[in-house]
Amino acid sequence: MLKRKRFFFAILAILPTLAIFAYVRLYPIADTLRLSLFQWNILSKNKPFIGLANFRELLGDHLFLDALINTTIIAFGVLVLTIPMAMIIAAMLFHRTRSRMAGFYETAVFIPHVVSLVPAAMAWKWIFDARLGPLNALLDFIGIPMQNWLFDPVLSVICIIVLCSWQALGYAVLIYLVGFKNLPVSLYEAAKLDGASGPQSFWHLSIPMLKPITLYVSVVTLVSGFNVYAQAFVLASDAQGAPGRQVRVLVLDMLENSFRNYRVGYAASEAVVLLVIVLGLTLIQFSMLRERGKS
Amino acid sequence: MTFETMRHTEQTAEELAEGVRLRRRKKLTNLAIDIFLLSVSVLMLLPLVLLVANAFKTPAEMLAWPPTIVPGDPTLDNFKAVLSETPLLRWIGNSIAFAVMSTIAIVATSAIAGYVFGKFRFATMNVLFALFLATAIVPFEVYMIPLYFQAKSLGILNSVWGLLLGYLVMSFGIFLIRQNVIHSIPDELLEAARIDGAGEFWIFFRIVLPLLRGALGALAVLAFFQAWTAFAWPMIVTTTRSSYTIEVGLALFQTGFTVDLGRLSAASATVLIPSILLFVILRRNFVQGVASTGLKE
Amino acid sequence: MKNAYSKLKISTRALAMSTALAVTFLSGVTVASAETLTVWSGYPEMAPFYQHVADGMKAAHPDLEVQVEAIALREHEKRVALGLTGGGQDGVTVIELSGSTATRYLENDLLPEAPSDISTFVKDPKNFGTFFSDIASSNGKVYGVPLFRGQGSLFYNTDMFKAAGLTTPPKTMEEFTEYAKKLTQRDASGKATVSGWSLRLSGGGQGIAEKFWTNLHQFGGAILVPAGEGKWKTDFANEAGRKALKQYLDLVFTQKSVTPEMPADADAFERGQTAMFIRESWVIGDIAKKAPGLKYATAPLPTGSIALPTNLYVVGEDGKVGWEFAKAANSPENLVWLLQNVGWLPNRAGIDYTSVTAKQPAFAAFVDYPKGYKFFTLPSIGPIEEVLTRVAAQLVVAFADASMATDDAKIDAFLKKTSDEVNTILDREGLLTK
Repeated sequence: MLKRKRFFFAILAILPTLAIFAYVRLYPIADTLRLSLFQWNILSKNKPFIGLANFRELLGDHLFLDALINTTIIAFGVLVLTIPMAMIIAAMLFHRTRSRMAGFYETAVFIPHVVSLVPAAMAWKWIFDARLGPLNALLDFIGIPMQNWLFDPVLSVICIIVLCSWQALGYAVLIYLVGFKNLPVSLYEAAKLDGASGPQSFWHLSIPMLKPITLYVSVVTLVSGFNVYAQAFVLASDAQGAPGRQVRVLVLDMLENSFRNYRVGYAASEAVVLLVIVLGLTLIQFSMLRERGKS
Repeated sequence: MTFETMRHTEQTAEELAEGVRLRRRKKLTNLAIDIFLLSVSVLMLLPLVLLVANAFKTPAEMLAWPPTIVPGDPTLDNFKAVLSETPLLRWIGNSIAFAVMSTIAIVATSAIAGYVFGKFRFATMNVLFALFLATAIVPFEVYMIPLYFQAKSLGILNSVWGLLLGYLVMSFGIFLIRQNVIHSIPDELLEAARIDGAGEFWIFFRIVLPLLRGALGALAVLAFFQAWTAFAWPMIVTTTRSSYTIEVGLALFQTGFTVDLGRLSAASATVLIPSILLFVILRRNFVQGVASTGLKE
Repeated sequence: MKNAYSKLKISTRALAMSTALAVTFLSGVTVASAETLTVWSGYPEMAPFYQHVADGMKAAHPDLEVQVEAIALREHEKRVALGLTGGGQDGVTVIELSGSTATRYLENDLLPEAPSDISTFVKDPKNFGTFFSDIASSNGKVYGVPLFRGQGSLFYNTDMFKAAGLTTPPKTMEEFTEYAKKLTQRDASGKATVSGWSLRLSGGGQGIAEKFWTNLHQFGGAILVPAGEGKWKTDFANEAGRKALKQYLDLVFTQKSVTPEMPADADAFERGQTAMFIRESWVIGDIAKKAPGLKYATAPLPTGSIALPTNLYVVGEDGKVGWEFAKAANSPENLVWLLQNVGWLPNRAGIDYTSVTAKQPAFAAFVDYPKGYKFFTLPSIGPIEEVLTRVAAQLVVAFADASMATDDAKIDAFLKKTSDEVNTILDREGLLTK
């Protein structure tokens, strides 16, 4: 009797959330999967089913492949840059937790993660500017030839990696900081008694013990790296003057296909590819965690 | 650090000298670390500082080579021009309205769903929870195009309602609140209330919500900044100048025919102020909220 | 009455949201006036013109409220695509679109036909040449009202010409290269500081391909040419294409007189960072506003130019006031105002623009072009944007490939590959000639 009443309450309470969730999550996700099998130009009423033809076309579409490669390089580039730096900064921050400056450090490292993306990208755009930017001024000053940061095919990708890492760093540092705080102090004391130096215990103790955190941060960084869009948009867009080189990324290609080329089905198939990548990454994370749990 | 203080008993002269040496070394290490952290902090803030500095430069100085860091002849013209020529304040207003409403929606749905999933462990609920969790990993970009067509059929494009549609629920928020409910609300408390004849709604509003205040606060800050920095969704949902959020407005600001970097910087600087201010005020909540995202497993 | 209703609506929703902020926002959203006309433009500098037209209609329509929404072209095209497919905007909207872009919507019945009086106005050859009225029509029916066109000419800085010992504008494409070499200013290390001829080498979107097409046109090539029966074919994997691309590469890599990261386009010209460039007439208005002291002149291109007509279309229930607006925009007084204050070239014939052109000789190159000057326009086919975007993406790669500059075989292979890619798109849409 009582149990039944409680069950009714549970259903009643969850219903509105569930309805919203179904409408704004489940349905559009299912719709993406469905649309990827259709040829649909937004404007026409016909929407023929074409099976996997969209995916076959993707395989031969060099703009898509270009986007896929760029996005992958950016995602992994951000990962490689962010994780070691975040770990070191977090270790230092942890060491100086009691310092009066700790709050300032934490805020400074974290602010790039919360400020609006577009203004931040504007700032970087100026820094990278080949003719006006301080980066080239600095290079010039120390005698290194100036570079066309936003125009060179390789450098323009690096610019996006730097910008994304700058934004991602704060989050990774924070998560690591939590990780450090949860590490058992006794272990470090024992190590110190055995004569281990700070860097040694960082290398032999912290890094292995923070593995789950590293795994988590890596996956989060990678997934957000695969969704990069605004950064590429802002660094290149500029109707006139000196626009930068457009670094094609997956989300940009997807939006262009659906809203410029009017090929929604095709764009949906790109979205499915993105989904598969993200799912794959998450599965890898889970299986690695499970393995760890077993050993 | 703690064990050093424990060993203050019985010190020989040698140990004392050793202690001084150690302490000095420690001081040096700390100094080195401080210098490192300080330079990292400065590097992280530098782009934003440069942006703000640019906002005060005259057009001529903007084009000068080598670029100046501190404006030689500071001017407020850029701010005046931006505020009079673009609906910057309106865009900021839109962003705030959107972020606040999204926060309310996410906090409300997460509180209810998190509580139900945490304390009503029926098989049906577990299945539903698994469903919520499974979709959490699907990036928004994957399904935003179909969602756009839903917004269109509802006739809410170019409005804060359209923006809101993409940001009504947050799977992670539900998870976060569920964890908190499990860990910080004892079953006995709820049972006792039930025995006293309290209704389920009363329990939720009077017992559960107050206990979840800290977690909900952290979630609220997360949700707010998530909406505040949203870009791809507002970019497709809003197409009229008056409905842009600040991110979209700024991004499109520079695609007009000619670009004035000084004004762009002024507009950007104006936007940075509220977000930095808010962050500094809410830093503790925020850090707590973000930190809790790392406790997923 | 209406006010009371909207207040009621606000209060109920506000209750539901239980937030004071939502209320303040809503009161801003639920303002809807009966006589509202929205104008969507893809050229921010056109906003004052539309406002001017609106002001002129005040006498006949005292309650009419005209909202001009002028944003960057690519964003404008996106909102049109989204708006026309069933969404978002209420009331009558006047939409500014180039004829080629409008095709897709006409094919799918998304733009309504013009009422008969407008149709007569557009079809009258005294008002518009057939080139313009055809582009505003489909299958003999009128859908849009022609307004202005984008047409390119050479803009050159006369002071820089004088300094380089040049007295006349270049007349052949070979001369363009010669001039660019002479006009380039370099610093001590030999690096170009002022480009001799500003070319569009980077950025997103189709602009790169359009600019390339203009140069290609001078050599007798085209990205797409009609092949009869509504089919198309490419015309650049040939000598014309090679010459056009080689000129770009030569200037970038061999002469080093322009590079992708140099300031480009109207901005650079106004600041004296480039000696010459090819652009539409709006630059005249832009210079007048931003660099009134600049000494410059214009000249027609060697063989001809793009002529990209832009029309006004009207959507929404009871679009009468919209059509009236489109017609009012074409009144002689407004068109003269357009030319004088904005600088885009009006398409309407039989209007005396001398009051403007006499004062601003730079317009001469746009109006008094030589005999046999050949115009081309973007094909009115659905996938035109996709074609140009893809060609642009390829060109950007080529513009960064120094090895191609001296390797004709590589250029040919590149052009062939790009042409094949365009053909694939045409084939998919059933537009490729067999």
